[in-house]
Amino acid sequence: MPLIIKLAFRNIFRQTRRSILTALSIGGGYMLCALSLSLLEGSYNNLIDLFTLSNTGHIQIHQDNYLDRPKIHKSISNYEVVGEQLSSNDEILNFSYRIYSPGLAYSDHGNQPAQIKGVKLDLEKNTTLIADKIREGKYISNAPNSDGYYSAMIGTGIAEGLKISLGDELVVISQGADGSVANDIFVVGAIIGNKDSMERNQIILPLVAAQEFLSMYNQVHEIAMILESYQDATRITEQLRQSIPELTVSSWQQVEEGFYKSMQSDKQGNTATMGIILFIVFIGVLNTVFMTVLERTREFGVLKAIGSRPRTVLALVSLETCILAVMSICVAFLITLPLVYWFANAGFTLPEPIDIGGIAFDAFKGEITFEVFFIPALILLLFAFIISLPPGIRAARIAPTQAMSSH
Amino acid sequence: MQVVIFVLIFSLSSIVGASPDPEQIIKEMENLYRGDRSKAEITMIVETPQYKRQMQMTSSSIGEEQSFIRILTPKKDRGISTLKLDREMWNYFPKINKVIKVPPSMMMGAWMGSDFTNDDLVKQTDLTDEYQLSLESTDTEYTITLVPKELTVTVWGKIDYVINRALMIPKTQRFYDDRGELIRTLVFSEPKQYGDYTLPSRLEMLPHNKPGHKTVIVYDTFDLNAEDVSDDQFTLRNLRSRF
Repeated sequence: MPLIIKLAFRNIFRQTRRSILTALSIGGGYMLCALSLSLLEGSYNNLIDLFTLSNTGHIQIHQDNYLDRPKIHKSISNYEVVGEQLSSNDEILNFSYRIYSPGLAYSDHGNQPAQIKGVKLDLEKNTTLIADKIREGKYISNAPNSDGYYSAMIGTGIAEGLKISLGDELVVISQGADGSVANDIFVVGAIIGNKDSMERNQIILPLVAAQEFLSMYNQVHEIAMILESYQDATRITEQLRQSIPELTVSSWQQVEEGFYKSMQSDKQGNTATMGIILFIVFIGVLNTVFMTVLERTREFGVLKAIGSRPRTVLALVSLETCILAVMSICVAFLITLPLVYWFANAGFTLPEPIDIGGIAFDAFKGEITFEVFFIPALILLLFAFIISLPPGIRAARIAPTQAMSSH
Repeated sequence: MQVVIFVLIFSLSSIVGASPDPEQIIKEMENLYRGDRSKAEITMIVETPQYKRQMQMTSSSIGEEQSFIRILTPKKDRGISTLKLDREMWNYFPKINKVIKVPPSMMMGAWMGSDFTNDDLVKQTDLTDEYQLSLESTDTEYTITLVPKELTVTVWGKIDYVINRALMIPKTQRFYDDRGELIRTLVFSEPKQYGDYTLPSRLEMLPHNKPGHKTVIVYDTFDLNAEDVSDDQFTLRNLRSRF
């Protein structure tokens, strides 16, 4: 073992108590960072999954700028051709066709505005969690009933506002794509979500019924799809843009821009908090290293007098700090690993769910990835090295005569 | 007797070439398409850059207070009807068996997706009462400029009403907003003989703020003395009746 490393180890264990205290603060900082990073990543992953699977999907396809300025005539007419193309892509798990229009819903008890949404029923239930959100009734079918009325799934807001329940008739009025007044009766087949969910003001119809209702034969407004993971969205969006240049392909980050941006700024806020924690940790470490250097002024004087180069002295001080940091990180890693593992698998339930962008978020779960452990370790090591430089430079610049005369 | 004298004086004044009364002209124009009891078969063609839609309908009216429109084709819209009584208006949708009253706030809204507003149909706004009129005339036409009175609630800042002087039928109506910008033009063309009356058979509405949009109304038949138009047709009960 090179002499310098031997020296560094000897110096670390010369003041065991102080070294342990420093190690504790570095290790504690590491644990805190790794845990919060794991929780942050984990909770965002859950949230994004919840958000994308609830409604958005990972990628959406529209005509023109429908996403920013929805107009009934900005529709996709060759949607089945696009659908075939999507089915042949192994990375796309499922997709669904949708139609949207604002409308007015009536019952005997009043009227209220509603969002009409036509979905390809068999595809939609494989793409989103719509079927799991049914509170009453069951997933509707494509076929009209014996009176010729199609079924509809309605949000809780509509059901409560119009005082209607399963089996009741619902009158809907809207404007058709050909300018005509769209008007028809539907039968309530299911009530979905609660009064906080994003479906609360929706009337979900079979695609064929919505196309007929809005005079949008063989047309849809949106194709939504899900992938293996939301993290593939950007890459596959780019791929689809190349293969379907005539339509607008947007990833979930663009579709849910507001949600994504607030999530990003929240993440930045958390990074800042983490930075503050590390800063406090390292103020303590800096103090310790300065103390060690000050204490050993005479020693450094001797080292220099017997011919040590300033560079060697600087290296010695840095090495001591870095070795201490590595050792503390290793120990902290062994303690953090099972903790993060527990967070990732069990997590803990929040007593009060937090509402983020309309989605109730009720459980904290961690994420166990290489980055969760590696990023804090790397930052801590870098900080340890940077922090060791000022005391090291001070030690390296010591004049032997002056140093040896000090106490 | 007094009436006769009044009529005599009135006709004399027009013979001697005194400037005609714009109010009288506008009233005459507005009543052209109404008659006492009228009945018409109308084709309406709505054109936009996205679609073209054609509707056949029947219309009947008594004076300016009562009118009734019923759509015959396309099949999807068959039976949709509009009733106007005085200043109120209702639409009936047979598919959902529902009568919906058109609120005053919707009077400037489109009628059945066309470029005509509900107000155009029911003529809720009385042009002679609510506007200041001024007249300019050439050898062939009268141009009456209508500017809303101070208390008039309207979206128009000015209306130019051009009248064919020889036939005494409307030629164009130009609607401006309060900044003087031309918003839409209604063009009357193809005069046709309907019984004793000559009327433009084709009305074309061109909204200038919506390029590519156009609504054409063609009067296929027009009976301005329809004996069979009776008061009981203009009821909510008749509005709801299936046919």
